[in-house]
Amino acid sequence: MSSMDITDRIRVPAGAWGGKISRLFMVAVVALVLCAVGFVVDREQFYFSWLTAMVFGVSISVASLFFVMLHHLTRASWSTVIRRIAEALMSPLPLLVLFFLPVILGNHDLYHWTHHDAVEHDAILKHKAPYLNVTFWVIRAAVYFLIWTLMTRYFYSNSVKQDQSADPNTTVTMQRRSAPGMILFALTITFMGFDWLMSLDPHWFSTIFGVYIFAGSALACFGTLTLAALALRRGGYLETVIRDDHIRDLGRLMFAFSVFWAYIAFSQFFLIWYGNIPEETLYYIHRFEGSWKYLTFGLAIGHFIVPFMILMSQWSKRRPALIGFMAVWVLVMHYLDLYWMVMPTHHKEGIHFSWIDLVCLVAVCTILVALFVRKLSQNPLVPVGDPRLPESLRLHNDY
Amino acid sequence: MDKTEALYGMVAEFDSPGALLHAAEATRNAGYERVDACSPFPIHGIDKALKIPGSKVPWLVLGGAFTGGIGALALQWWTSAIDYPIKIAGKPYLSLPAFVPVIFELTVLLSAFAAVFGMLALNGLPRLYHPAFNHSRFHKVTDDGFFLIIESEDPMFSRSTTREFMAGLGGTHIEEVRG
Amino acid sequence: MSSVSLPESKVTGEIVEDPRTRTTLVRGGLDFAGVTETICRSIEGKTPIGWYIAFGISLLMLGVMVASIGYLFWVGTGIWGLNMPVAWGWAIVNFVWWVGIGHAGTLISAILFLFRQKWRTGINRFAEAMTIFAVICALVFPTIHVGRVWLIWFALPIPNWELIWPNFRSPLLWDVFAVSTYFTVSLLFWYTGLIPDLATLRDRAKGKIAKLGYGIFALGWRGSNRHWINYEKAYLILAGISTPLVLSVHSIVSFDFAVSVVPGWHTTIFPPYFVAGAVFSGFAMVLTLAIIARKIYKMENLITIDHFDNMNKIMLVTGMMVGYAYAMEFFIAWYSASPYEGFIFLARAKGQYAWAYWIMITCNVLVPQVFWFRSLRRNIPVMFVASILINVGMWFERFVIVATSLSQDYLPANWGYFRPTLFDVSTYIGTMGLFFTFFLLFLRFLPMVAIAEVKGVMPEADPHHKPAEVK
Repeated sequence: MSSMDITDRIRVPAGAWGGKISRLFMVAVVALVLCAVGFVVDREQFYFSWLTAMVFGVSISVASLFFVMLHHLTRASWSTVIRRIAEALMSPLPLLVLFFLPVILGNHDLYHWTHHDAVEHDAILKHKAPYLNVTFWVIRAAVYFLIWTLMTRYFYSNSVKQDQSADPNTTVTMQRRSAPGMILFALTITFMGFDWLMSLDPHWFSTIFGVYIFAGSALACFGTLTLAALALRRGGYLETVIRDDHIRDLGRLMFAFSVFWAYIAFSQFFLIWYGNIPEETLYYIHRFEGSWKYLTFGLAIGHFIVPFMILMSQWSKRRPALIGFMAVWVLVMHYLDLYWMVMPTHHKEGIHFSWIDLVCLVAVCTILVALFVRKLSQNPLVPVGDPRLPESLRLHNDY
Repeated sequence: MDKTEALYGMVAEFDSPGALLHAAEATRNAGYERVDACSPFPIHGIDKALKIPGSKVPWLVLGGAFTGGIGALALQWWTSAIDYPIKIAGKPYLSLPAFVPVIFELTVLLSAFAAVFGMLALNGLPRLYHPAFNHSRFHKVTDDGFFLIIESEDPMFSRSTTREFMAGLGGTHIEEVRG
Repeated sequence: MSSVSLPESKVTGEIVEDPRTRTTLVRGGLDFAGVTETICRSIEGKTPIGWYIAFGISLLMLGVMVASIGYLFWVGTGIWGLNMPVAWGWAIVNFVWWVGIGHAGTLISAILFLFRQKWRTGINRFAEAMTIFAVICALVFPTIHVGRVWLIWFALPIPNWELIWPNFRSPLLWDVFAVSTYFTVSLLFWYTGLIPDLATLRDRAKGKIAKLGYGIFALGWRGSNRHWINYEKAYLILAGISTPLVLSVHSIVSFDFAVSVVPGWHTTIFPPYFVAGAVFSGFAMVLTLAIIARKIYKMENLITIDHFDNMNKIMLVTGMMVGYAYAMEFFIAWYSASPYEGFIFLARAKGQYAWAYWIMITCNVLVPQVFWFRSLRRNIPVMFVASILINVGMWFERFVIVATSLSQDYLPANWGYFRPTLFDVSTYIGTMGLFFTFFLLFLRFLPMVAIAEVKGVMPEADPHHKPAEVK
């Protein structure tokens, strides 16, 4: 109930990060120019590379919206000091709709079901045409972005409003709104996965696919939040606000979600492997062919076994530097996971890394980070008016 | 109480977790080595105050986990692929994905055994008798009593000064226990 | 470095569930001794007459089970309604239902522990007890439905005169390992939690037999902090390994169905969907039992309305997850363009089992929607009825999965309709007798709330706690 003092720097001085942000945008412009070169040189490769990078950026941002709503819904206090970072990470979502424009342009190169002649001679695709057609597909994408825009706007603006008003009722209202928000989140991320990734192979289907996308995205989001928190501390912000106890909890979440991802990934693989019926197994046969099998096994090790072994012990969770390293690790793994879902459609014979993959990833990441950092610098770095902030500052974990 | 039995130590009661923690810290600072604190629930901080070393249970569990996992893999591999290979459902003899469930279950089972029985072994339980129970109010240790024990084997132990010391810390019902 | 003062909070309008404070878990001004007294009173005091009546009824139902199983052994599984094409009748439905009910206990004791949800201490003990008894009931069904029950040991890798081994590539064998591991680990977890409380009962016991009985099982526990440190570590590890265990158990149960290529069974979402459904029905059962036991044993200060509120929220969440899975199955059944998948899902909604399907949808998807409203989440009659309906719905979910897919498979000439016999019903009712017999014995002889754990989450348990000033 009583007011507390924070001795850390919790506000970015006006313009202090301006140089950083413009440098990021400069890199982004260079990367975008290179993307354009890639488009001219190898159009199909560009579209596939862009799709992978775009989903990487969007999925992290959407998962960040999930983190914010989960925080409200569970009345959590440990994460209050991290919440503003998550809010800044989700807020570029409305602009990320621009990332989707190249995908619309490239729909014919990306998605087999857009080929009218193919659909004509394929009973299965004909059956799916009411769902898998370009018009409806674009409308659905627009709806996802609209929903995300409304939700991020709502949660961000109310959170900032509370910085001034310090009204506990804002917290109560946001908690209430989070419940229906979760339903919208679950549906949008599921159908996003179906539309953008699963339909790359339009004959294949898996009911768990939405959960699979969610697990990977949430893990990548926790990795990003951890990195941002550690970077802020290193930059002289929130040094005693975000303590090692908070970093430990983020490490725990990364541990839990790498196990959860493994559980979902294994469930999907295992049931298809055991059932062994042609309409499903083809997906995995592509991914066990040529050099793709190395990536498949690599993901099992890198996306699950390595984080599991390293993050399991208390010893490692008390080492912020190690947790920071694992945060980078899980982000790389999330990208490779998406790469594994997208690229076998284009390069059936084996892994074929291209420089276009890299420039697309750099373009998407720099733009996302620049928007994220700019948002972060506009308001206090912690929700100062949140009634649970004192509790969060006192966080002490017995286990 | 049978006075002929050997002196075990001095037991004092305290009225709150905070008082017990404070007393434990003071006892260690005074130089006592063989000290124990008993309470109805774990009190965080006493392990540091009494310099109780960290638990070794995790290492036992790690051993249990590896035994269970490797044992389950060996069992399934030997029975399915070596001793009596038989084709079922078109699956290879050595079907690793199909062996995952049993590997997982036995890993968990042996980890749990290691955790529970390891914990009991490290604690020296079950145990039929302990001298501390001879204290007239020690039955409250599972209700709302907080007790500090200084053993007579401690080099600094003396029947008079230890009693005074414990009284000075706010201990009540200070008794010598034998057995 | 400048210092920032946090703004003083200003409330506009009324406020419910003030986020500035956390609700107290132990009410009624109870201190440590008061907690001990409240919990132990139910064991040491005079047994309520209602207990004897309930116990009598449970024993009667248990007798029904024993008789049904005896007759089953004498005659064979033909006394049940299972026949081609539905060769997997109520036995598997009841098995999955009972295992699922057990899952809430582990969720409360392990997963909520890892999430540092202190309110779990009010309900974890009897939820864990419920887990163990539910798993016992579940184990009855696969054991007796094999027909020649004296050969059940064939399921274990025991060297035998035939020189053959169990088939480790079969989901039914994974079940043997999963459910027996689950039972063993749950029992160990429960017992570990009980040790300090058994010591409490030992130290309070008046009679010689009680002192001896509780004394043996308390293992000489004396609350030493040298012991607590190992104890807490073991408890944390048990929670850590029980969490993936509970997920694995119902996932493996779902593999019984999902690894086959039967339409309606072979779908990748089955593992998490079964886990969510299991937690959903388990919480409903915990709630049903908690409402009654709390009332009879006057535990209102320890199991508060806030506990029920939280549990109802979890039921709403897991109910929505189950609803999500239903929706995904339906969508993908259409999207897959597989005529068999499409047929079976339409048959569920419109075919011969439509009545069961709509009971399932009503109870599992519609009924939990009442918990959107705070007033209904805190209304005991509403939640009591809802919790029972949810368990009915979850039974029907398993029945729909088993019956629809088997009764109308790839060969229309083989289609049929499953009808239970009297012995299907009597065995099922009988296991409830088994469950309640165990549960009532538990209420009578063991503390239904974890004494040491409740004390541990009270503010006074923090050694740095300062007694509040009297206003």
